[in-house]
Amino acid sequence: MAFNVLIVDDSAVMRAMIGRTLRLSGLPIASILEAPNGEVGLRLLNEEWVDLLLLDVNMPVMNGEEMLRLIRADERTRDLAVIIVSTEGSGTRLAALQAMGAAIVHKPFPPETLRDTILRVTGVTDVEYYGTAAATSDSLDF
Amino acid sequence: MSNTTEQLLRQATVSTFEELAFLFLEDECAIPDGDAPLDAIAAVDFHGPMRGRLLIRASSNLLPVIASNMMGEDAAQHRPMQRDALGEIANVVCGNLLPMLAGSEAEFRLDAPQWRADMTDARDGDASITRVRFGVEDGRAQAELFVFTGLAWLAATRPEHATA
Repeated sequence: MAFNVLIVDDSAVMRAMIGRTLRLSGLPIASILEAPNGEVGLRLLNEEWVDLLLLDVNMPVMNGEEMLRLIRADERTRDLAVIIVSTEGSGTRLAALQAMGAAIVHKPFPPETLRDTILRVTGVTDVEYYGTAAATSDSLDF
Repeated sequence: MSNTTEQLLRQATVSTFEELAFLFLEDECAIPDGDAPLDAIAAVDFHGPMRGRLLIRASSNLLPVIASNMMGEDAAQHRPMQRDALGEIANVVCGNLLPMLAGSEAEFRLDAPQWRADMTDARDGDASITRVRFGVEDGRAQAELFVFTGLAWLAATRPEHATA
């Protein structure tokens, strides 16, 4: 299985950085889609099959919390694996996002943190896809 | 503002440069070229119990390095992306500093980072609350925190950060 990933972040730099991390992570990536806000992200979710969503919180037009709420309310996307990648520091907001089934990766993040979180939320294991030694933290060389 | 606030700003800035841009900041007094200009500026405004601005100033010769380390060589060729990279640094420093300063119960909204090509300060007549300076590679970087409103709230809720 190769992942179709959607990155929703209003920063083109952060989208590029997350995409680069994904490509260097050793994870099998079929496609990486990008959106600058939740509204565009929802449109892409309606048009394309996505296995994993990497979502910022603080964005114009539609923020990540609202997008996640709509995703969970839609039968087609309610089980989508979601990782919040954000600087969000409010305990209340973070608790609300986790209650909606999202994992949290706090910016700034070491690349291996993002990769390990992806492995955890997708249920993919290093052993299953890459062998026991393929995706250790040391192997993610930037 | 207290020394604690300066320490928090220093901590947020150092960790962001290290983890996002793979750049290791040094104390300014330790760098060979202390006169490198701080001619690239990114600003992030924040709103909540306190309202203010976080500025990151850097020597413009660092911008390609920052962008390249964050996104790879290809994306870093474009000047707008180089500017956005500094903006994202400011965004992450600000996003990390505020909960350390105001507590995780406080909720803030951050505006999109703004690129500032001139050396104009945050607002006419305002002085920064605290500022930290570093040497990095062949240039310098500086983080500044401005608080326009909400210092009384901070003094009441987090007095350790509001006292001189």
